[in-house]
Amino acid sequence: MCMTVFALIIINKAGGLILNRTFHEGGLNQLSTNDYLVLAGTFHGVHAITARLDPLKNQISATPTAPGGIPSRPEPPSGLEVMETENFRLQCFNTLTGTKFLLFTDTTQVNVDVTMRRIYDLYSDYVMKNPFYQTEMPIRCETFDRKLLSYIREINNNR
Amino acid sequence: MPVYSFFIFDRHTECIYSKHWLPPPPDRPLPPSSFGAQQQQQPPVPSSQPTHPPSAAAATSAANDAKLTFGAVFSLRNMVRKLGGDDDAFISYRTASYKLHYYETPANLRFVMLTDTASLSMRNVMHQIYINLWVEYVVKNPLAPVEHKGGAGVRNELFELGLDQFIRGLM
Repeated sequence: MCMTVFALIIINKAGGLILNRTFHEGGLNQLSTNDYLVLAGTFHGVHAITARLDPLKNQISATPTAPGGIPSRPEPPSGLEVMETENFRLQCFNTLTGTKFLLFTDTTQVNVDVTMRRIYDLYSDYVMKNPFYQTEMPIRCETFDRKLLSYIREINNNR
Repeated sequence: MPVYSFFIFDRHTECIYSKHWLPPPPDRPLPPSSFGAQQQQQPPVPSSQPTHPPSAAAATSAANDAKLTFGAVFSLRNMVRKLGGDDDAFISYRTASYKLHYYETPANLRFVMLTDTASLSMRNVMHQIYINLWVEYVVKNPLAPVEHKGGAGVRNELFELGLDQFIRGLM
């Protein structure tokens, strides 16, 4: 298994950058803090647009029904999930509350879903359960940082 | 692998060509040019008046979709170049319901294709469209202008036919 995780960015539901960590030097260009904030805001907007661009949005029948004859709610449109470029791959996980986890990996990366799931677990355990953390504010939780770093380092060293 | 839509944007960010291969809606058999869903609840009126607004609305919504597509693609391309360096290129993105492929020529002509999520990279396909259709039938057409303002010179018979055959060959 060869994979490299370059960076993790967490964006709150308003499009603000709340966490930005780089794990592998040389994978991505280092930007200034201001550029990262702009990037987070831009991505937030683009994500909303990509959810609206669904070419099949007019094709859905009026009221889909579940097996029991109960009208079921259609899946909400999902925005960008994976983006591929020549140099890296971006996996985006949008939680139900609108927090976005952006994981930058190398192009050959597999099983990013598992990594993402684990990071979300760490976030739930060490950020959301931290009584001193204010939601939607930048994440400054030492335990989360430590656990995240050791988890990603384990992945990056296994290649 | 179904192809849903195809767009070409020129270097002035204008959409100069768009084509759709959407399957007809399952419930309401409509002519492919009209997307007016809300009109279907009313009984059909024989006058030509009610058919006009939905097609005009569909045209505006198609134009808006093209603008939104360009905006998303342009932002992502700039983001990718900022993060990955100037030699990096944005290739594609995928959502739960569709996949968007992007190809840019050195002259900043941008090709965008929307397909279903399972399709593989369409970069070579769009490169083929560029060299075999765009260059042959639009660039080499002596009657086509250099700048295709408002899509002038793009929508010619040979290009349309060639593109349709090429895309249908993929599906």
